[in-house]
Amino acid sequence: MTEISLEALSPKREQPVPGEPENWRRFFSFSTDHKVIGIQYIVVAFVFFLIGGFLAMIIRGELITPEADLVDRTVYNALFTMHGTIMLFMWTFPVLNGLANYLVPLQIGARDMAFPRLNAVAFWMVPVFGVILMASFLVPGGPSQSGWWAYPPVSLQNPTGNLINGQFLWILAVALSGISSIMGAVNIVTTIIRMRAPGMTFFKMPVFCWAVMAAQTIQLFGLPALTAGAVMLLFDLSVGTSFFDPATGGDPVLYQHFFWFYSHPAVYVIILPVFGVFSELFPVYARKPLFGYKFVAVSSFVITGLSAIVWVHHMFASGTPGWMRMLFMASTMLISVPTGVKIFAWVATIWGGKIKLSTPMLFALGGLVNFLFAGITGIMLAAVPFDIHVNNTYFVVGHFHYVIYGAAVMGIYAAIYHWFPKMTGRMYYEGLGKLHFVLTFVGVNLNFLPMHPAGLMGMPRRVASYDPEFAYWNVLASLGGFLLGVSTLPFLLNMISSWILGEKAPANPWRAIGLEWLVSSPPPHENFAVIPTVVSEPYGYGKNEPLIASQMASTELTSELS
Amino acid sequence: MNLRLILKLAAIAGVMTAISLWVGQLAYTWMPVPASEEALLVDHLFSFLTTLGTFIFLGVAGTLLYSVLFQRAAKYDEGDGPPIEGNLTLEIVWTAIPLVLVIWIAGYSYRIYDEMNILGPMEHMHGGAAIAAPLTLAQATDAPEAPEAPEIIEVHARQWVWEFYYPVANVTSTELHLPNHRRAKLTLTSEDVLHGFFVPAFRVKQDVIPGRSIDFEFTPIREGTYRLRDSQYSGTYFAAMQANVVVESPDDYQQWLTDVAALSPQPGLNPSYDEYQVKVENRDNRPGWKTVEPAPYPLVNYSGAPVLPER
Amino acid sequence: MSSVNLDQSLNSAATVHAADHHEEGEHRLFGFIVFLLSESVIFLSFFVGYIVYKTSATDWLPAGVEGLEVREPFINTIVLVSSSFVIYIAERYLHKENLWGFRAFWLLTMAMGSFFLYGQAVEWMGLDFGFTDGLFGGTFYLLTGFHGLHVLTGVLLQGIMLGRSFIPGNYDDGEVGVAATSLFWHFVDVIWIILFILIYVWQ
Ligand code: HEM
Ligand SMILES: [Cu+2]
Repeated sequence: MTEISLEALSPKREQPVPGEPENWRRFFSFSTDHKVIGIQYIVVAFVFFLIGGFLAMIIRGELITPEADLVDRTVYNALFTMHGTIMLFMWTFPVLNGLANYLVPLQIGARDMAFPRLNAVAFWMVPVFGVILMASFLVPGGPSQSGWWAYPPVSLQNPTGNLINGQFLWILAVALSGISSIMGAVNIVTTIIRMRAPGMTFFKMPVFCWAVMAAQTIQLFGLPALTAGAVMLLFDLSVGTSFFDPATGGDPVLYQHFFWFYSHPAVYVIILPVFGVFSELFPVYARKPLFGYKFVAVSSFVITGLSAIVWVHHMFASGTPGWMRMLFMASTMLISVPTGVKIFAWVATIWGGKIKLSTPMLFALGGLVNFLFAGITGIMLAAVPFDIHVNNTYFVVGHFHYVIYGAAVMGIYAAIYHWFPKMTGRMYYEGLGKLHFVLTFVGVNLNFLPMHPAGLMGMPRRVASYDPEFAYWNVLASLGGFLLGVSTLPFLLNMISSWILGEKAPANPWRAIGLEWLVSSPPPHENFAVIPTVVSEPYGYGKNEPLIASQMASTELTSELS
Repeated sequence: MNLRLILKLAAIAGVMTAISLWVGQLAYTWMPVPASEEALLVDHLFSFLTTLGTFIFLGVAGTLLYSVLFQRAAKYDEGDGPPIEGNLTLEIVWTAIPLVLVIWIAGYSYRIYDEMNILGPMEHMHGGAAIAAPLTLAQATDAPEAPEAPEIIEVHARQWVWEFYYPVANVTSTELHLPNHRRAKLTLTSEDVLHGFFVPAFRVKQDVIPGRSIDFEFTPIREGTYRLRDSQYSGTYFAAMQANVVVESPDDYQQWLTDVAALSPQPGLNPSYDEYQVKVENRDNRPGWKTVEPAPYPLVNYSGAPVLPER
Repeated sequence: MSSVNLDQSLNSAATVHAADHHEEGEHRLFGFIVFLLSESVIFLSFFVGYIVYKTSATDWLPAGVEGLEVREPFINTIVLVSSSFVIYIAERYLHKENLWGFRAFWLLTMAMGSFFLYGQAVEWMGLDFGFTDGLFGGTFYLLTGFHGLHVLTGVLLQGIMLGRSFIPGNYDDGEVGVAATSLFWHFVDVIWIILFILIYVWQ
């Protein structure tokens, strides 16, 4: 069903120009169109993904042998610091903001975001703080070498004595990223709460929007805590206050609390929208309604709530008393319940469906399996006695890469393929997409699975050199890492060539249900000539019910078509 | 549900249980040979978690795999699947089961943590830098003299070398010696930044925090040589900050203390300083940035051997 | 295919469009409230930091410092808190479309805010400890400074709103700017009350 697009009904609509080659210049302009900004976010973020990935290649090159023989230790430390920072603040957050920007107004039936100009400002800050961060390679002393946590006192040690040092620029970049993210969060939350089309109650809203709203709520309460910590760190570093410096009476552990109060929930800022993507894609490619839609929708907010009370699980081996460790073990265990609810719901959605293994579905399925594995190691990590052993080892690195690469990045790929026809008006090449999937899935598992045994045996993370007993697993991991490097090539080739040469995409190539599929590909400026009135829940596969009011009369017609 | 289906499901569950139990046993071999009482406890917990985890993974991934293999749409089938939107009972069940499960895991972990009892008080110290090396004899006087009471060993971390001080015997060393089957009691202090005390074979770890003195204990149960690693990132030579831990019989241990006490102080092991010298003397011309200077060789009664323990 | 639907949807579109413009101001106010909620967490974090330090630090006050003088800050507090009522009166006048009444009380609010800033500056000058003098010095200047920055922002915003009130037709689209500024001012006030209790009362 839903073959009929609104455009077809409306004679007055403007011609859809976006996506046409002659119009590429607007992607370099201060556009306030949420669709342009969405694509800008995604493309800029991907550039940083490639940069961060390049650094990872050097890291894996160093680790393929036990000795610190490829680069100097200071360089190695700068590399993993920058790798982590870029991947989180310049790739994952922006690319997800890009998806949210592009999809939310379309999915809720709005013409744009609530604050289009604020939106553009928030986006343009990304290249600005990106450049600031990269510039730290050029200052004396090099980039920050204190890891993406920037734990003091290491982050306060400033061997060159310069005021403008790598750590300074790092804090500046992270602070700007925080401001940009807050702007984005205010915008997205306002948009979702206040600009839904008539008839779209919360329980008729797609799960992606639910998840994005839950994620952005986290930004709103979490980022300020990080900002507070960062401001104090900056004063310690540059002015000489003593907030976190034990040499003058400060408390370095308090910084850890500030940092993780945000940075634990931040992992849910990343994964929740990806959960949203899974929830959108499985119904389409299994041709079944999302199982337990309301449970899935609400569980995002349960996660948001719980995510605020689990942060100490990153500090089980730090300066935390026993009672605190036990308390936060309990809360961390609880958070796996709403997560489990989602996993079961997806499996039940897929079960008994008519599954089509096209590229987006492959990525989503692969992401789900990887996430399952990461969730299980996550529960292990929540068990304090076990975490004491593996905390700060490669086991943790394995765990979170399974989530962030295995589930989040693969979910993002799934989303990009799924909505590529909508965004560009062109179809991608299925063959290249499948090749990309295979390389990524094998690469992820080859790269990150061996990290678990290495960690169990006691290999600490963040090391430039290690005892030879760990060499075997590291060789495997490095090979997997290089494979992941290679895996971006078919993706890039696919995206670029499809955008230019791909077959023209119809409005709804996947026969998917959702407001975004009712408008042309790419959607016209301001999306909807006529704001639709929503009458059904979002995942009516197999039910032959109309999604919006104007389809009512034509339902019978479409049901014959499908 | 007919009988055949039930039998089939039971058979699958049986196979999955068998595999999970087997993997749970395998899990013991993924860890270093346990060398402390705590290690035995942790390994049990890990085996238990692995068993449960394997079962869940097989269940969920197996179901997915079945769907993907056998429930694909035919090539030209454009139809939809059955419009099943949910099942309240099922949803409540799969919320309740994980809940019970994690409460079980948390309870079990709690018991084990309680039994390990590795962490004592963490006192804030007046003015963080006050505990500068060399360590003084001052604390030694109030060390308990009772025969079975374990001696407190001071573990002192600085960028990037470990130093151990035995107050009763007034011995310093860059290799940690511990008597077998005796509760090892340590106080962890750091002079500069965060470090982490981590002996994989013991499965114990604790961050060392400047400005605090942290009591930490465990019980070695196996003679041999193990690795102590810095587990909390501490700057440039972080990875090189390792030391050997020697567990020996109480007699040998006492003998070692007496022998070593007679030795005059000599430079201890300090790999990061060695490596730094290579840089300073321009024997390594890879480009790098300015680093915090490593602490010089500590003067100790006993330095230990610069060799990796046999595996 | 279905021309009946077309008419229907076009009709509903017209109403939606009109509503769109009307709602824009409300979106802005809503967004601003969301922002303020978020902003309050920064203060909350600083407060928590302050409490942790105060209760755990081995040496809290810098050497030679006895504590803080409460009298002048208390007067300052009275002024700032009363200004919340004054700005409310200004808003009432605006509602009644009495522009001059609005301007008068609005200006009074600005004056009171400026008085607070002045008092704060005088207090800072007279203190014999600085930003880098231990945890007390650090947290004291951090909290009062960060709050002072907000007061300054508030006064500047008020200045802009005052200027705008002279533009003819400024309030045709509603009074979102004024409402938001006033909300911000109340927020700054509430923060100060907590801050005053933490720093000056709890010594
Ligand atoms: C079932 C749910 C999960 C549980 C119970 C869980 C538990 C944990 C625990 C206890 C740690 C700390 C381990 C340590 O440092 O010793 C950890 C680390 C981490 N987790 Fe998870 N996790 C879960 C899901 C996720 C998700 C969804 C993400 C991201 C999208 C994630 C990302 C991370 C990251 C990035 C770290 C390490 C950060 C760092 O140390 O640099 N986890 N997880
Ligand atoms: Cu976490």
